[in-house]
Amino acid sequence: MTLLEKTAVESTESIVVPEARRRGGIRTHVTQFKWLYLLLIPGALYFLVFRYWPMFGAVIAFKDYVPFLGIADSAWVGFQHFEDFFSSPDFPRLLANTLVLALLSLVIAFPLTIVVALLLNELRLMLLKRSVQTLIYIPHFLSWTVVASLTYLLFALDVGPMTQLINGLLGTDIDFLTDPAWFRPLIVLQDIWKNTGWGTIIFLAALASVDQEQYEAAIIDGAGRFQRVWHVTLPSIMPTIVVMLVLQMGQVLNTGFEQIYLMTNALNRQVADVFDTYVYFMGITQGSYSYSTAVGLFKAIVGVVLIFGANWVARRFNQTGIF
Amino acid sequence: MAASNLSRFNTPAGRAFDVVNVALLVVVGVVALLPFVYVIAGSFATEAELATRSFFVWPETFSIDAYRAIFTSPAFTRALVTTILVTAVGTTIQLLLTAAMAYPLSKSNLPGRRVILSLVVFTMVFSGGMIPTFLVVKDLGLLDTYWALVLPMAINPFSLIIIKNFFQQLPAELEESAKIDGANELQTLWSVILPLSKPVLATFALFYAVGIWNDFMSPLLYLNDSSMWTLQMFLRQVTVATDLSIVEGDTTQLPPAQGIKFAVIVVATLPILLFYPFLQKHFAKGMLIGAVKG
Amino acid sequence: MTRHPSRAALALLSAGALTLTGCTAAAEAETVELKTLSIMAPYLVTNAPQPDNEIEQALEEVVDTDLDITWVPNSSYEDKTNITLAGDDLPHVMVIQGKTPGFVKNAKAGAFWDLTEYLDEYPNLSTSFPEVQKAASINDQVFGIFRARDVMRASVILRKDWLQNVGLEAPETTDDLYEIAKAFTERDPDGNGQADTYGIIIPKWPGMIGSNSPYDVIETWHGAGNRWTERDGELVPSFMTEEFLEAVQYEKQLIDEGLVNPDYATFDSAKWNEPFLNGNGGIIIDVHSRAGQIMGLLKQSDPENFDRYVEISGNLVGPDGDLHAHPTAGYSGFLAVPKAKVRTEEQLRAVLEVLDKLNSEEAGPILNNGIEGVTYELDGDLAVGNDDAPQTLKDDVLSYAQLGTNVTGFQGYRPKQASEYEQEMYDKRLEIEQADLEFAEFDPSAPYVSETYVSKGAQLDVIVSDARIQYLAGQIDLAGLEDAVERWRSAGGDQVISEINELRDAD
Repeated sequence: MTLLEKTAVESTESIVVPEARRRGGIRTHVTQFKWLYLLLIPGALYFLVFRYWPMFGAVIAFKDYVPFLGIADSAWVGFQHFEDFFSSPDFPRLLANTLVLALLSLVIAFPLTIVVALLLNELRLMLLKRSVQTLIYIPHFLSWTVVASLTYLLFALDVGPMTQLINGLLGTDIDFLTDPAWFRPLIVLQDIWKNTGWGTIIFLAALASVDQEQYEAAIIDGAGRFQRVWHVTLPSIMPTIVVMLVLQMGQVLNTGFEQIYLMTNALNRQVADVFDTYVYFMGITQGSYSYSTAVGLFKAIVGVVLIFGANWVARRFNQTGIF
Repeated sequence: MAASNLSRFNTPAGRAFDVVNVALLVVVGVVALLPFVYVIAGSFATEAELATRSFFVWPETFSIDAYRAIFTSPAFTRALVTTILVTAVGTTIQLLLTAAMAYPLSKSNLPGRRVILSLVVFTMVFSGGMIPTFLVVKDLGLLDTYWALVLPMAINPFSLIIIKNFFQQLPAELEESAKIDGANELQTLWSVILPLSKPVLATFALFYAVGIWNDFMSPLLYLNDSSMWTLQMFLRQVTVATDLSIVEGDTTQLPPAQGIKFAVIVVATLPILLFYPFLQKHFAKGMLIGAVKG
Repeated sequence: MTRHPSRAALALLSAGALTLTGCTAAAEAETVELKTLSIMAPYLVTNAPQPDNEIEQALEEVVDTDLDITWVPNSSYEDKTNITLAGDDLPHVMVIQGKTPGFVKNAKAGAFWDLTEYLDEYPNLSTSFPEVQKAASINDQVFGIFRARDVMRASVILRKDWLQNVGLEAPETTDDLYEIAKAFTERDPDGNGQADTYGIIIPKWPGMIGSNSPYDVIETWHGAGNRWTERDGELVPSFMTEEFLEAVQYEKQLIDEGLVNPDYATFDSAKWNEPFLNGNGGIIIDVHSRAGQIMGLLKQSDPENFDRYVEISGNLVGPDGDLHAHPTAGYSGFLAVPKAKVRTEEQLRAVLEVLDKLNSEEAGPILNNGIEGVTYELDGDLAVGNDDAPQTLKDDVLSYAQLGTNVTGFQGYRPKQASEYEQEMYDKRLEIEQADLEFAEFDPSAPYVSETYVSKGAQLDVIVSDARIQYLAGQIDLAGLEDAVERWRSAGGDQVISEINELRDAD
């Protein structure tokens, strides 16, 4: 961002927090963009009412919230919950487990989605393409409860078809469901199975709008198939990839609760506990909404830093970024 | 279009790739499908078979008991209809609201745009949580109305940003010509931008529809009147093992039969799955955009 | 650049807060006369009862008040309870499922009426089981009318045909149990010539330590007490006793010798009956009603011979030669009255008046059995279920049973068993329960709620219950298990112990 652009941005930003001396300027803007602002109103109202208004509830992170007393009347405790959380012996383990899972998802599941979308895009039989597309969306519609029970069925000790298959190949029994070493591979596998197909939707929509002319031009230039993907297709969907990547950065600490919770047992809990299951455990089982809100707040702050940081990096490399 | 497309594929290496690619994707498709086939097969199997065979794609004895049990419940049938209606209407509202907000935000010269976008992105990582959101919904008087299932999730920030980005990539000339014809931005959005954006709108229609369809927390928290409930309330109660009753030794009630679980999953999944092919034809039409631009 | 958005966000927040105070001002006017009693209750079946069904109408007639019941799926009841308490539209009566930390916090903050002084004034609410009422209280404050459950329910359910094939009798001691489990595993009890059976079926237990799991029951039998026990005049958790260590070694032996299903750490508890029915495993340690459930399933699949498969036995004598029977808490949650809805003592009395009628002799059969002539027929003082009743109505009976308290004894009709064999088994069960009751080891800490336990208990308990499974699986040794108990103590357990003992001494 050049200095000039930066000042331009700042001057537009300050318009939202109006100051008396700028009033004349605003009026010009409002007339010039009146239809656009009109379109913005319903959305802005939505975010105000349903997204920002409930945020007052975050103050319970600094209180000892009891639902009956209400948010206003619960006692203040300051940073007590945060201190407890950071000094808890669970903290380093939760952080490590969460980050490992997030990293695996980022380096395996994310690129895989793009690869599958590209492969689908290369299919010329439209009927086959549509059929495969439809099929790979199916897993997304099954809840984690169903996915977990199918996993238990397939990987059950001794009798599960997958366990038997692997026993046939390797000659040893692996206890996939309780062996801590197999917890993460199973989670990633489930994640890929359930979400990869669905994830391709965004990329396929982007691929659908790639300029056909560029392909024609590339063919005239004598580009091979792989080269066309590399030089035409990928650059065209790069903005989408970058946006998805930036958005995913904000979700690094969100591993999801249900999937992990359902796959956790006494023997793999050491590697299975993540922030999201901890929040559930503290909030619901232990009834401490304040504590789990404090953990949620911590996660949000990390998420904000990562998402805005990633956006900044994206813009540095001349990509569109989110905003 | 077909002829030129074909020409760019027809090299020996290209054909070899095609074969491998087709084989690979068919395998991927089958792997995605198989477990669901098991669920369907299981929904038609007898309890005895489900208890003894671990994985199968075709039941030995065919039984429709599970479906009979589900559909004799008037509450279930009503919930199915309710869910379809709420999903259809809700998706339309959500999509319109999202597109309306995305359009102005796609204009890079709009003052205040970055602030608004930052505020939107912030909501992706932080939310007030279950209880405060409930209090807002309650204070707005939306409890025990279907609005409570639609409005609190009306605009998904993620969808908003992707749609906004899509609008940004549309050729500026189109709007220019609309402007010259004297259309304001509202008219431009309705008659030029939205028709061109069918692939992306179809995509997010599906996202929103699935969101409403699969939503379990909203009906649980916002609807006290059980005659208003949606399908997920049933699905949840049937598929989630009642842990507590086992700890309490409360075995007066058998856990729901496995076959019924499967049948409920099939009934709850199929309608939304069938919804997809209708949207898919718009996905394909996205191809036209390139042509328009030329 | 994040500075600007946050400033804007603050502006939005204060705008929102202003609107909020504007909206909450409207409070509803309360009438003293109670025309409608609203209740929030969980349901465990697939379908929630529909408003104004036959059972509800019959109940309304008996209690002479309209009932407005909000049914909530059991799987999400805690969430709904907290949301309801946070709002301002509460029911007159809430079914509370147990002394969860969330409930205790709300109760201590004054969310519910303390009923200690009131209940005895109402003939049907004045309990005949004061010790259960005490166990359901929070440090002797009664915040709800408990929902009574059978106290003695622990049972060993065995494959009768297997017992005959290996020539053994139903077990009486834990040694017998080991003997049988070993025979069921090694001596081909199904006679198919293959080593494809095992002894005891244990599922992944959803609760933590001291939640009536097969492990907990075995530990009680060994003399470790029931959740807590008294040692040298002091109350301690049962896992701090010698007997506990003895019991887990016994459990480990069962597992190491392959006498238990190998997937005990992950096996789905909803499928607990399956290995028993399929002839994979032959012993279940759970509650008596499961035996009835299994017989019902067998009757469907093999109506000719279903009387040949099931044998039951009660609590087992431990290695010390004594019978330490494992009782339940005797209640499953309670009906509490929130103060936010029922504001005055007059209103409270009006509510209790209706609850008193709801627990009357007239209402009891409706809650427990449904409607005579529709869902059941009376044969002497036994109820014969009507199989032709619509499924929704049968489900409704189970849901309305959630409202029953039975604090003066069971108010419904006991079910008449469908066949002579089933009746025989049922009578045997009652006999066993009666005999075991005398030797019940009650949880001495039940009425006491420790501050530290409320804020940390779930976290603490998982340390020990995980370590127990890890020890059984061989991930840690006995010293490792003892380390886990030490960790429990240092992470707050010692404080829990001293608080519980203080409360007990003050009582």
